[in-house]
Amino acid sequence: MSLLLLLSGCVEKEVLDDISLIEGIGFDLSENGKILGTVTFPLYLKDAPPKNQTFSAEAKIKKSFLQEIQKQTSDPIVTGSLEVVLFGKDIAKKEGILELIDAFQRDPGVGAGLYLAVIDGEAKSLLEGEYGIRGNGTFLANLLEHNIKQEEIPRSNLHLFLADFYQEGKTPFLPQLKQTSKKKIEITGIALFSQGKVIDVIPPEKMFSFKLLVDRFSEGMHQVSIEEGDAAIRSIRSSHKFELTKRNPEEISIHIKVKGIINEFTGNNLTSKMITKLEKQFEEDINKECLSMIERFKEKELDPIGLGRYVKTQTKNFDINKWRNTEYKNLKVKVTSDVVITETGVIQ
Amino acid sequence: MKVTIPENRKVAPFLVFFIIHSMQTGIGILGFTRIIARHAGYDSWMSIILVGIIIHILMWMIYKMTTIADGDIIAVHTYIFGKKLSKMVCSIFILYFCLLIVTVLRGFIEIVHVWMFPDLSIFWFALVFFILVIYIVNGGIRTITGIAFFSVVLPFYIVITFLLTIPYASFTNLLPMFDHSLTEVMKSAQSMSLTVIGFETLLFIYPFIKSPEKSRKWAFFSNIYTTLINLYVAIFTFAYFSENQLQKYTWPLLTIWKIIKMPFVERFEYIGIANWCLIILPNVCLALWCASWLVKQIFSIRQKTSVPALAIVCLASISLIITGETQNMLSDLTGRIGFYINFIYLPFLFFATLLARKVKKSETPS
Repeated sequence: MSLLLLLSGCVEKEVLDDISLIEGIGFDLSENGKILGTVTFPLYLKDAPPKNQTFSAEAKIKKSFLQEIQKQTSDPIVTGSLEVVLFGKDIAKKEGILELIDAFQRDPGVGAGLYLAVIDGEAKSLLEGEYGIRGNGTFLANLLEHNIKQEEIPRSNLHLFLADFYQEGKTPFLPQLKQTSKKKIEITGIALFSQGKVIDVIPPEKMFSFKLLVDRFSEGMHQVSIEEGDAAIRSIRSSHKFELTKRNPEEISIHIKVKGIINEFTGNNLTSKMITKLEKQFEEDINKECLSMIERFKEKELDPIGLGRYVKTQTKNFDINKWRNTEYKNLKVKVTSDVVITETGVIQ
Repeated sequence: MKVTIPENRKVAPFLVFFIIHSMQTGIGILGFTRIIARHAGYDSWMSIILVGIIIHILMWMIYKMTTIADGDIIAVHTYIFGKKLSKMVCSIFILYFCLLIVTVLRGFIEIVHVWMFPDLSIFWFALVFFILVIYIVNGGIRTITGIAFFSVVLPFYIVITFLLTIPYASFTNLLPMFDHSLTEVMKSAQSMSLTVIGFETLLFIYPFIKSPEKSRKWAFFSNIYTTLINLYVAIFTFAYFSENQLQKYTWPLLTIWKIIKMPFVERFEYIGIANWCLIILPNVCLALWCASWLVKQIFSIRQKTSVPALAIVCLASISLIITGETQNMLSDLTGRIGFYINFIYLPFLFFATLLARKVKKSETPS
């Protein structure tokens, strides 16, 4: 028993008050081609919201920039509380983010639910802003979390990014953010990756349809126009189903189901005939948008919704090279949807 | 040779369930999913079932052997080979159990090094662990069985933690099924031997079971339970990781815990890995007890002496394994030896017993 007590002094201690728990990390490309890393952590003050501290340093090997930052801080930097990692536009497009992610994969103290995002701009300047009342890292993590849960960003974190990256027949994606002022951040789309580099970005107005195709169940808002007026329809539950209807060339039928409620309508009265019209228009919108998105993916040789993966699950001895080189290009996709509007609010 | 053991030192038949399952569950389950997926991909869940069936047959063979020879492994060997040869062959098992102890405990320390405390002293931790083990082993097989019971029941909640992966899992990863050849499935089955060995302790503790015929069904249930748990872990692992991603992680089960978010702890792995200390405790205790019991039967050295002596030998060996790479080589070696002893030598022993019985029957005039 006494030996056990003695043993507890044998490993390195980390007292909570004497360490800096960083909440956010940002990566940019510096002028001389090195990696510029920025960390942010909150400084807890008495009777005041936490103050954001950021430190930046350059390093050749990615995560070793943390060593450089240790030279600047009074308390040792610790990554156990990391919530979000941001990649600046230049590094995401030119160098790719794969090598940067390797360090987070390897670190036992980093959670798999870590949020990753691409910044339309510089990660450093974004992290140096002042957002919210709980610290920048927490603000960013919360921003992404509620948009994933109830709005139009598909499920995304470190684990899912890696699972998609290593999956044959799928390419990964991450949300894209932009700093609009010193105190505001906005979601500006979904960045699509191939080989770790950003190839294309899905704009905000198309994110709803993208999420319908990617997530198992999704929510989100969509504007539908008919001649009597415009309606804002909120999807409260939706799902998609893939079906392989033909081979050589492959043909996939995607069927989408949406259950929605009308939040806003600019016309006069909302009759049941109009509701049916809205449903039909919504279905048309979805079909058109999804189809055009998929065509664009094929053109750019991306597959974020995993059509290749789906075909793999239906095919014995699937040949990934044949798929990439010929079959994906010749793939035909059909999209059909079924919208049901269940509620229209408390007024007529 | 017959050994009479007083009834108050024996364990009840149903407790065999806990002994077998706790012995089979060690550190193998933490990393086996990556290894089986190497050959048969995500079809390797079939390998798990295959191995379960094979072990079922092997356990049936063990019971048959021990009934015919009316005793434990030494009795079986004496029945076939006579006293002298059986003593020689069975002393190899002493080394086998020491190898198991070193592999399991060093493997656990390796996990603590990588996931929690890289600077934890191997020697001091193992020393304290062994002191606990010696204390338990000195209580006899009944005390060890009590620890085995707790190590099965208390960590059961870990089974529920897998349900937290469902939002991030795609069970369609398992499709298409039957996309691999039988050879690949069998190769996967062989590669998981380190994960499932432990049932052979039955051969060694046989004299210490009250009414051993009654314990048969409990031993079979135990194997089925282990197989189901392995299957459960494998299916959730395959749904959570994509196939190429799984090959990157040494201990997929621990990596799965990284997705768990709890309000009071950042990393659930700290709780899980600490719990694992309890799960490997009966493995080390039982192996040490079996080794010392063999020493008593073969060399007539009292267990009170051999238990600490063997512990010191194992402690020294563990302290010599300094790098993770050496530990990996050791695990592979133990897996291979375990495979040959359990899946090749055991059936051979069974058929030798049957043969010996035939010979003995024809020798005695009816």
